[in-house]
Amino acid sequence: MSCDTFKPLLMGYLDEELTALEAARVGQHLQECHECTTDLEDFRKLKEVTRNMRVVMPDDKYWDEYWSNIYNRLERKVGWILLSLGSIILSAYGLYWVIAEVFLGKNVPLVIQIGVGALVVGFCALLVSVLRERFFLSKSDKYERIKR
Amino acid sequence: MNPIDEGSAIERCKNGDREAFGLIVQKYMKPAYYVALGYVGRPDDALDISQDAFINAFRHIKRFDSSKSFFPWFYSILKNLCMNHINRSRRRKEDSIDEMVEEEGQSRIPVETVNPEQGAVQRDLEIKIGTALQRLRPKEREIIILQHFQDYSYQEIADLLGVPIGTVMSRLYSARRALRRELERMGVRY
Repeated sequence: MSCDTFKPLLMGYLDEELTALEAARVGQHLQECHECTTDLEDFRKLKEVTRNMRVVMPDDKYWDEYWSNIYNRLERKVGWILLSLGSIILSAYGLYWVIAEVFLGKNVPLVIQIGVGALVVGFCALLVSVLRERFFLSKSDKYERIKR
Repeated sequence: MNPIDEGSAIERCKNGDREAFGLIVQKYMKPAYYVALGYVGRPDDALDISQDAFINAFRHIKRFDSSKSFFPWFYSILKNLCMNHINRSRRRKEDSIDEMVEEEGQSRIPVETVNPEQGAVQRDLEIKIGTALQRLRPKEREIIILQHFQDYSYQEIADLLGVPIGTVMSRLYSARRALRRELERMGVRY
């Protein structure tokens, strides 16, 4: 077998993760191959120099709060959905009620009907425009995240 | 938590039981953090992204086949979020010279020595190793952090990432070689 086959196995050999049979095969190869022996020695030195080193762990308080942060965000998400749903239902009903009162009600002056109509149409136009901007245009805005 | 417990916890999650999901989170939060750290390189971002990944996983838990192990499925969600984060950061760097300068100055994985007799030389070595780690490709960094710096066994890594042990060894080989090259480039002698 070529060195390329043995190279990854050198890792298992170094970390003592090979089976006895695999380790024996690698050991035999090392006796015959100077390049792999040098390679293994370099990896051994690298392992030695980083021995006892660890990636710094976040403080315990972060781990203590880890699950509660997730839980709170899951819970809030449900809360936001319900709040939004409730607001939409009530707003829609309120709008319907105002329109019905103003346009179908008796004795409402024309000027009030025109005023309310303009208000409702204007509000809807602005809402659609803002939503369109948020959902479509901001996605392609490459300057969106630049710090000012 | 043994595999049977994990399976029953997942089934409870599918019925909306958030407490059961807590058991899953407790079991996998640290590996999730290390994987994210391997990809994004910053501890704060790694914490945020790993939490986002758990939230996404809970939302889509019904799609998960509970006869399989949780982490490889979760890993694909986590990896996607990490890649999105990296792409966003790259775009941001292109757009903002200030931020690029700021990131250049502080870009290293925080590394410390266990039971240190903390001298200046050791501290300098930690900084250089942290910097060299940061310069590796995400996949190299990920496997080095898991095996080299956190002592996960090959089998544990294979289970976490959902890859064969042979793949763990070949990834580790190229990652260690890249780390060695970076350290040599920085003038570290050992």
